[in-house]
Amino acid sequence: MAIKSKSEKNSSAKASAKKTSLNGNRDTGRPGNGASMKAPAVRVNQYGIPDWRLEQPEFEVREVTDGPEIHYEIKGKLNTPVPPIRESKYLTKEQHLELYRWMVMNRRMEVALENLYKQSKVVGGVYFGLGQEACSCASAYALGPDDWFAPMIRNQGAQLVRGFHSRDIMMQYMAKAGSPTKGKDGTSHYGDIEKRHMVSPISMLGDLLPVMAGVSLGARLQGKELACLTWIGDGGQSTGVSYEGINFAAVRKLGLVLIIESNLWAYSTPTEYQVNVKDLANRAIGYGMPGVIIDGTDACQVYDATYEAVERAHRGEGPTLIEAKLMRMKGHAIHDAAAYVPKEMHEFWRKRDCIDRFQKYLLEKKWLTPAQDKEMIAAIEKEIDAEREFAENSPMPEGHTAAEGVYCEGGCHDIKPKYGMPQKARRSEGKLKESEAAIHFK
Amino acid sequence: MLRSDRDPSLRSGLRKNMAQATYLEAIRQGLWEEMESDPTVFCIGEDIGIYGGAFKVTDGFVHHFGTSRVIDTPIAESAIVGAAFGAALTGMRPVAEFQFMDFIGCAFNQIVNMVAKSHYRWGAPAPLVLRGPCGGGVHGGPFHSQNPEMPFVHTPGMKVVAPATPSDAKGLIKSAIRDNNPVLFLEHKFLYRRIKEDVPENGHIVPIGKARVHREGRDLSVITYAAMVHTAQEAADILAKEGIEIEIIDLRTLCPLDREAITQTVKKTNKVILLHEDTKTGGLAGELAAIINEEAFDDLDGPIVRITALDTPVPFSPPLEHFFLPKVEDVVREARKLHAY
Repeated sequence: MAIKSKSEKNSSAKASAKKTSLNGNRDTGRPGNGASMKAPAVRVNQYGIPDWRLEQPEFEVREVTDGPEIHYEIKGKLNTPVPPIRESKYLTKEQHLELYRWMVMNRRMEVALENLYKQSKVVGGVYFGLGQEACSCASAYALGPDDWFAPMIRNQGAQLVRGFHSRDIMMQYMAKAGSPTKGKDGTSHYGDIEKRHMVSPISMLGDLLPVMAGVSLGARLQGKELACLTWIGDGGQSTGVSYEGINFAAVRKLGLVLIIESNLWAYSTPTEYQVNVKDLANRAIGYGMPGVIIDGTDACQVYDATYEAVERAHRGEGPTLIEAKLMRMKGHAIHDAAAYVPKEMHEFWRKRDCIDRFQKYLLEKKWLTPAQDKEMIAAIEKEIDAEREFAENSPMPEGHTAAEGVYCEGGCHDIKPKYGMPQKARRSEGKLKESEAAIHFK
Repeated sequence: MLRSDRDPSLRSGLRKNMAQATYLEAIRQGLWEEMESDPTVFCIGEDIGIYGGAFKVTDGFVHHFGTSRVIDTPIAESAIVGAAFGAALTGMRPVAEFQFMDFIGCAFNQIVNMVAKSHYRWGAPAPLVLRGPCGGGVHGGPFHSQNPEMPFVHTPGMKVVAPATPSDAKGLIKSAIRDNNPVLFLEHKFLYRRIKEDVPENGHIVPIGKARVHREGRDLSVITYAAMVHTAQEAADILAKEGIEIEIIDLRTLCPLDREAITQTVKKTNKVILLHEDTKTGGLAGELAAIINEEAFDDLDGPIVRITALDTPVPFSPPLEHFFLPKVEDVVREARKLHAY
């Protein structure tokens, strides 16, 4: 099922699937796995936005005043069965296994971070993507080799998938000299424009959106159509700059691939008090771009939706908005016990744990045996141990280096276009003529 | 009020490859030349394409360079700066226009937190220029007259440039584009079409970070920048008739400041007036006074004097705006007092 917005007229979402859905059409040549026949039909919501999920949870969180007590209460259907994984149209068996490995790596690395925190080896707090590993890893895994990405705080898995090591993230948290920012910043606040094409996030939400649109613009001026993937929460997308960035990408058909991680809690504020729409993907209609709803705890849905958005970006057709429904399974950061989350809500999503579901899926398909699984997890643990040891033993930065690097000077960077010198699209041989004097203020 | 092309000190017609140009035309020339010589330079902003910009700085550019290098955007300043930064990460050199510098507040976070800190935090250079008209005297009111330099002078990682003459405007826009850091390029809109001088045609560069002695004098120094350089010049003409010779230092770059030039003039004249069009509290004059205190305290023969706009928003009605702005008579009066001190 292709991603389709209602704003594109004269074709139903169903009809468009045949037209725009791609299967292994990329340069990197990923064949389909033939599993798509089994996948059930895609629903569309009341606004015509495709909804790939195999269940549509129905519940609502509200503020309740109960005597002196004020708390959040959840009402709705919370005992529905856990849905199956939607078969991927694009992932091969080997890719399923590789993706699973990244997700496990993501989680285990965060457990290691938590332990480092408990041992007081971390400077500041630690942020987790528990429950969001599929959303981070499968989306990053769907990028082409040249594509760019900009993770948010919970997308540490994406950093691993795109070539960073656990030690990089650990050293960021431990503020070590050998961290990607040399101790200048912490957490996921680092990047790499040379090789791994990761743009550093900042703490302010939404500011990455126009930046990623700009990366796509810069590459296009050099003759290259890139997919530029970034994520934002249901909370983060409330910012004004989010609108500015998405709208600009839509107007100029830039290769922004935006995943809204609807993880239901913006720090302590539930989605119901953040936005007055049920599906944030509906906003794609307002932006004039395709939108799609997926189950963010289903790695196959995340991969396939991102893959199609990436393909669309590579074709120069513009941005895509993917809303991934899931829940943040820990507090905002390690200090936050998330006591405001109703227990039955946590329980509902715990049953939908993305790694458990994917593991079960792979075991049932017999693509993975319990023995292989155990072996793989042991190997990951071993690797993370080695990474942790390296990070722990690396030195702190020298104080005086705080004064370095404010400006790019003395030849510290050789700035040149990454994808080739832009063509001089000169339209005339004309020279500069004096401008006319009719101006805004004289 | 300001010097015009009648003023011989602005002319140096004996030099070769010179032609008269207004402040605005000089900026246009600098931008055009850089776009001609470097295909990675492109312009992005509101109404800069077919319309040519609210002040016509990019008039005719889209016809010559095409729509891919002169990009009209939605009315979204954060998107403009963000997109410019993103493109810069791929090795481009974007020149983003603010239709009026007052609107830079709309992109404050993007500039201060995303762009200015990127090299320090994660080693990503941001070779982009943020340019546009600032300043009062044109009855633009509170939202079309401001001088928003100080929040950015106060932001590590930014460079801030504010030329006062056509030659400097041209030489500095070229330097700003070639710089590997984010440069805020403040064009004083009062000067756009009011001053004219001989401007070198090609290869003319004015380095960022270097002040200029606008007028030599022995009795006291006026350290200033942008449109106030011309206010100081008019005051100097009046004072010269009274035998008071003031030295005018045009800072040209507000960040990083040319501490040496500031120190030198104070050591020479021993008395100093700090003059700017921006409001007083938290204005650059306070910083300049601190530098003089640190570098040349023993050389002072009188109090450091500040002449600035009032600590109010920029008022709209002409008599109010006239009262608000620093004037020639303010400089003359304060200079006489300081000279007699």
